[in-house]
Order: sequence, then structure tokens, then C-alpha cells
Amino acid sequence: MRVNKSRANIMRPSRRDMLKIAGASAAFSIPHIRPSQAAPTEINLLSWYGHGEPDLVGEFEAKHNVKFKSKYYAGGDNMLALIAQSPPGTYDLILSDAEYVQQLLTAGYIDQLDPADYPFDDIFDEFKQFPGHWKDKKLYAVIVRYGHLGVAYNTTKISREDASSYKVFWKPELKGKIGHFDWHLPNLGSISLLDGNAKPGPFDINKAQWDHLKETTRSLRPQVAGFFDLGGTFSSLKSEQVWATVGIGDWITGVLKRDGAPVDSVVPKEGGIQWTESYSIGKNSGKQDIAKKFIQYILSPAGQVRTAKLKAYPALLPTKGGWKALQAADPAEANRLGLIDSADNNPIKLLREGRIHYRRLPVQQSLEEWNEFWQEYKSA
Amino acid sequence: MTGPRLDTLWLKAYVGLALAFVFAPIAVALVFSFNSSRFPTLPLQSFTLEWYEDVASNPELISAFGRSALVALLVAALSTAIGFATAYTDYRFSFRGKGFFVALALLPPTIPSVIMGLAMLAWLSRLAISGTIAAIVVAHTVICIPFATAIIRLRLSEMDAGLELAAWNLGASPWTAVRTLVLPFARRSLLAAMALTAAVSFDEYAVAWFVSGLQKTVPVVVLEILTGNVDPRINAIGAIVFVTSMSLVIAAQILIGRSSQKSGTAE
Amino acid sequence: MASDARRRAAIFAVAWRAPLLIWQGSFFIGALGFLTVMSFWLVKNYRMEPAFVFQNWERILARPFFWDAFWRTLGLASLGTLVISVLAFPAAYTIGLVLSPRAQRLAIFLLVIPFFTSYLVRAYAWQIILADRGILNFLLSWLGIPAVSMLNTPAATLVGYATLTLPLVVVLQALSISSIDRRLIEAAYNLGCTRLRAISMAIVPLARSGLIIAAVFAFILCYGDFVAPYYLGGSLPPTLSILIVDTAKSGQQWPRSAVVAITMIGVLMAVSFVAMRLVYGRRR
Repeated sequence: MRVNKSRANIMRPSRRDMLKIAGASAAFSIPHIRPSQAAPTEINLLSWYGHGEPDLVGEFEAKHNVKFKSKYYAGGDNMLALIAQSPPGTYDLILSDAEYVQQLLTAGYIDQLDPADYPFDDIFDEFKQFPGHWKDKKLYAVIVRYGHLGVAYNTTKISREDASSYKVFWKPELKGKIGHFDWHLPNLGSISLLDGNAKPGPFDINKAQWDHLKETTRSLRPQVAGFFDLGGTFSSLKSEQVWATVGIGDWITGVLKRDGAPVDSVVPKEGGIQWTESYSIGKNSGKQDIAKKFIQYILSPAGQVRTAKLKAYPALLPTKGGWKALQAADPAEANRLGLIDSADNNPIKLLREGRIHYRRLPVQQSLEEWNEFWQEYKSA
Repeated sequence: MTGPRLDTLWLKAYVGLALAFVFAPIAVALVFSFNSSRFPTLPLQSFTLEWYEDVASNPELISAFGRSALVALLVAALSTAIGFATAYTDYRFSFRGKGFFVALALLPPTIPSVIMGLAMLAWLSRLAISGTIAAIVVAHTVICIPFATAIIRLRLSEMDAGLELAAWNLGASPWTAVRTLVLPFARRSLLAAMALTAAVSFDEYAVAWFVSGLQKTVPVVVLEILTGNVDPRINAIGAIVFVTSMSLVIAAQILIGRSSQKSGTAE
Repeated sequence: MASDARRRAAIFAVAWRAPLLIWQGSFFIGALGFLTVMSFWLVKNYRMEPAFVFQNWERILARPFFWDAFWRTLGLASLGTLVISVLAFPAAYTIGLVLSPRAQRLAIFLLVIPFFTSYLVRAYAWQIILADRGILNFLLSWLGIPAVSMLNTPAATLVGYATLTLPLVVVLQALSISSIDRRLIEAAYNLGCTRLRAISMAIVPLARSGLIIAAVFAFILCYGDFVAPYYLGGSLPPTLSILIVDTAKSGQQWPRSAVVAITMIGVLMAVSFVAMRLVYGRRR
């Protein structure tokens, strides 16, 4: 039996000492995390990827001594899940797709807004009473940007003419080269338009049409290379893993084009789908005033230019002042987006011609039914 | 003793191949983090530090790194402390239900992290701490206790059982014996456990993604970038993360190696 | 006096036992217990409500896509485990029996390092390597071989699994092989075995427990992994782990995710149980 005398009686950290050391280190590290100026107001933002980044909020942050803290979601369902997971009042600003605003309202997550606070005069007539943003004549969300979904394709592999119909996805030479953005709503909506469900709308279909839609969709499965989340959608098109993607539009290809990728989007002859984003103010936020100021900023010409050219994904503008400002600041981009009265792809013109349909939740089926069909389609 | 030596060279080459496979992604991330092209394709373009500059000037990323470090530190301390208590219990005592006790200590790694994340999210929301740093620390500690326990237990099994007995015979209370004998003996393994659990926590992405809310750690930011729009920053972030965890793991291994007097085989 | 000492001894014992019991009890068992309870709850208007219904279980277990995912995950994880165990063995054999102790320590040292570094970033790096215009295809084009599409296939998922588990499997196998009594191996060679026969007749049976344990760990990791099938396999096919994330992301259906989660835990426990039986069951 040996007793190791050399080890006894020497100060060795005990459990308590280790905890003290840990606590001290934590205390030391905290000052390095806190910013050195007078504490700016924090705004908690819940949005699609990229809306809290400096290119959009930097100017506002500097001017109002504000710091944006953002939580990014992918898809309206994900957004709802995230809000439900946090204590009420966590999020001050919520960027939401239009069709989910009513659910935010029903679940009690957002505050009522005063239309007088926002430049409704500047907004195009078509968008003043945007369905979903109002309930019982009360305003709950303000439209700030939108975009079109159609056929996104690689310009070196597919001609614009071919891409002008959803049928292009079924072309035999594209087998294994088609990608899906992994969200049922835009995908099924697009195929619904191909099925001819333009009236009353691609999302308002009866049982026979729904069954037919499922059949058409299933017939596309052999062409599919994969189902991608946001990041995967970008990289699969970038790397030419896929040559065309269903369920997306310029919001993806516009970014890739900036990096020089040979891709483009087009609204096909069967029609396109409009996604619409709006800001709401979170209930119990405590920062309603500054949140309101930010929404006003985004709707101002300066803010509109920034949101049109958002680094994460570009968008079209709902305000006349925004159009003018973009034409002045970046005429090439205004041209590309069609935010000029004379343009062919002028979004308001397309809307008036009935070629664009708002994306919405399915009317005659439950959201669950669409989601479950999507799961089934994926595992085929 | 080991048979014909002709194919020994092939076998060693095979080990080399295995190591190459294992380190390939790390090397790729490191190399591309200095590549100026926005697309991660060959051939490489010019050498640049701009992605690192991007990362260094991004306040959100910096605070994420700080948060990850803080969480890792707290997790290391907590899980090593509890790990020691658990290892010591297993070493010193036998009691009814010991099997259940040991199972409780070693079970967490058998639960897939996605499931753990979901369960933690639901439970910690219930306890109203979801979305805070405390939530991440709590969840990670649960995951890391088995690692700490295993490392310390291994070291304790090398301790002469007579040591404590002698101390008691000489009049020391069992607490004193632990403080002056067992803890010093296990010192390096305690440090190794801290280093390793810090590494595990630093890299943990699934559970953190579920419970961190707005308090993002680095892996959560990486996940967001991967699911948002992959940009070249991710290689720079990855390189920094690799260097950090590799240093921690190397430190842990050295500590374990040095403290083990009787190791005939490797760790 | 004696009872005093006994009480102090009892306090000593309980004090060391307590931390684990309290912590894991509150958080680990609490979380998993709640998960089970939650699988019987209802979701109304995107909020969960306590209830005790079997509706979630019925609905999920009745869905064909659930069973597709179930069998595919089982198959993919099993295949991965098999392939990785086989690929790991030559390396483990070399490390365990051929290399010098110094080289052995170095090899294990090197193998352990990546295992604890960000699996997420490593998987993404494999995307760069396997992409259509990625590193491997670049090298192939140098050799005049046309590009191979590797991503978004089950094979790519297997590569991901290997990235996750190979180091662990090699190390566990090597440790177990190196602890075999050398004399038994010598005996095999003395009796005229070639290397191959020595391996199949002596080494594998002797290292059996370690090999099985390594395989079980690999299986557990692969079965529950989300990153490889999603980022490398392109969700083709969707695994149960992807199903959990999908269900949790959409419409607050945590109870349904819980059903999938508990099913997975059940499978893992069954597999571990069978494996432990194999390891400890038969006594020579």
C-alpha cells in the first residue's frame, strides 16, 4: 500500500474551485461581448433569411441607435413554429408572407396597426387593400415587397421560349435535372396553374381538380434530382446540379445572376404566382414606436431601394415613390426587375392582365392535406 | 509475430487512406476559405483574406463566437463536476439500482440529437427557459456528462484501491481523502474532460438550433447560412471552428495520455 | 456512535450520487418523459393542448410515407454500418497489430481529432468535393473521365455517414483488436495459418465484442443523423430524422414529431438490446 505523499497537501482545484474559476471566466468574457457605446435599443426580428443584415438595416441602425437581432425561418409554417416556441413579446418585428398573417392574428401574435401611420397614398391601388393584411377593416400587416414565381432555369441549357411554359419541367432531356424548392405551397400552386386552374385560382380547387393535381405532380417525380432547402436551391442551380427548379422565381435567380451564374426566371404563359411580404408588429413587444419607424423607413423611397436590392434576395416594390427612386439609383436593376411603367414585365401590368395570382393557403383542402401529399411525393 | 511482412506496406497505406478520407473535408474547408472565387469550384482563383475579414467585422458572428465560448465554458465546468461525482460513485460504491444509475449516466449519446433537440425544446419551453443561454447550457450538459464520466472513470480505474483505505485508517474523513487523494490523482483527466466537453458543446448544432432562440451559437449560425444562401464566409467560419475544436481535442488527448501511467495500448 | 458514523457514511454516499440523479432526472428524463406525454397531446390553432388521445399515433402509423421512411432509414443505417465496419477493419487491424506502439498512438490521436470537430461543416465540405463541378469531378476530368453525379444520392448519404462514424469505428475496433492475447494469434500462425485465415479464424472471433460494440455505435449515429441524408443525399430518400424536422417545422405539430421520435428511440433500444445479447449472451 503506497500513499502518494507528494500529491497530498498540495492545493488542487476542487469542484467548488472549478466552478469559481468558471464563473470568473464567464464574468470576464461578458464585458467583451457587450458593445462599448451607450446601449442601443435592440429590435428582435423574425423573418426570412437576410432581413436583419447590414445592407438593409445598417443605415437605420446608425441613425436611430438601434441593434437588430434576427431569427431566420424558412417557410410560413416554420415561422409559426418559432413564434410559438418563444415567450410572448419576444419578437418586435415580424416579416411574414401574406397568407400567414391571418394565422398570426388568430393565434394572437400581432398588434393592430393604424393605416394613417403608413404612406398608403404611395402604394399602388392594387395593393392598398391586400387580402390577408386586413380583417374587419382593421390593418394588421403592411405590404413592403413582393415577387413572382414561375420557371427558374439555366439559360445555357434551356431557351427562354421553352421556359415560358411549365411543361418544360417534363422534357425528357431534363430528366434528373429538375429541382424542387422544398415547400409544397409554391410547387403545387405552379403545377395547379399548368393544370389550368387559373379561375378562380390555383389554390382554390375542388376535389376533382385536387386529385388531378396530385396525378400531374406524381408524373413529374422521375424528373426530379432532389428537394432543396433555401441554401440547397441556390447551390444546386449554381453548380448546375439542376437545370431548372420548380416553385421559385427571381428571388433566387436574381441573386445568382449577381454572382454571374447563367440563370433566369420567367413568368410562363400559364401564369405566375406572387409571393408577398409584409411587416407586422409583435404583440406585447414594448418597442412598438421604433418598430413603426422602421416599417415607415422601409416604405420610404430610400428604404424601398434597399429592400429591392436586398443581398439575400431581390424583390419588386409596392410604392410609386420606390419605383422612381430605384429608377434613379439603379436604372439597370429597375429595368431588369420591370419596375418601369413601359416594361414588358411590369408587375402591375401583369397583375392587371390576370397573369399573376396571389399565393395563398389552400381554400378547399386543409393545409395538412397539402403538406402530407408533399411528404408522400417526396418519399416516392 | 504478426505474420508475413510483404503486405504490411499496403496495410499502412490503407491507414493513410483512411486518415486522408477523415481529414479531407477539413483540408477542403481550410483551402477554400482563402479562395477568392464566390463559387467553391476548381481551379482555385487568387488567395484572399476577405472572407476572414468579413467574419471578423460581422458583429453578429462575433457575438455568436462569444456566446459559444461562454456556453462551452459553463458546460465544461458543469459536466466535469457532475461527471466526477458520477465516476467516483461508480468507482467507490456498489448499491442496488447501480445498473440504472450507470445507464442514466451513459444513455444520452444513444438518443439522436434531433430527437434530443425536440424533446429539450418542448421541455425547456415548459420550464420557461427556452431561448436563453441557460437552455443551451442545460441541454449540452446533459449530452456531455457521459463523456466526462467515461474519461474520469477510466482514470479512476487506474487508482490503487488501497490509497483511500490507507487514508481512512490514518484517520482522514472520506471527504478529506477525496479532496487530497482522489482529486489530485484525477486532475489531468478532469482537465481533459473539460477540454473535451467544451469541444463537444462548441460543435453541437442540432440541440442548439432547437433551443437557442435568438441566442445563436456558432453552429446555429452555420446552419442558418447553410439553409439560407451558402456563401464563401462559411469556409472561413468552418476553418475557425475547426482550429478551435481541434486545439481542444488535442489538449484533451495530451492530458489523458500524460496522466495515464500504465497505458500499454493507446487511450 | 456507530449509527452516527453510518449516517455520515450514508450522507457521503448519497452526496456523490445526487448530482447525476438530480441533473439527468430533471432534464434528461424530464425531457424524454415529456416527449412521450406530448405524443398524446392535441394541436389546436397552432398551440398545443394537453390531452390523452391516440390520434397522433394512429395518424402517423397509418401513413405510407412514414413506413417508407421507417424501412429506408433502417436499411440505410444498416447498410452504412456494414460498409463502414468492413472498411474500417483493415485500418483497425493494422493499427491494432501491425503498427509500433508509437505509431499506434499517433494514428489514434489523429483519428480522434476530426471526430470532435464540426460535423456540419465537414458535411458541407463534402458537398464541395462531390458536386458536379466539384473537386472529384475536376480530378476525373483531368483523367479524361466524364463527370459523375454523386450528390443527392444514397451513396452520398453513405459518404456522410462514413465521415461521421469512421474515426469512432476504427478506434473502437483497433482498441479491441489490440487487446487480444498475442499468444493466441501467434499460435494461429504457428499452426500454419495465412494472414487471412488468422484474421477470420482467430482475430475476428476474439475481438467480436469490440467489433459489435463499434457497429452498434455506428448504427446509432447513422440512424439518427439528419445532416448526411439532407445535405448530401438531398432527402432522397427522406429518413425519419428528416421527417421529424419537417414535421416540427410545419404547423407546430410537435406531438406528431414526438411519435416519430419515440418510434426511433424504440428501434435503437431494440437494436442495442440485441447487440448486448450478442456480446454478453453466449458464454464459452
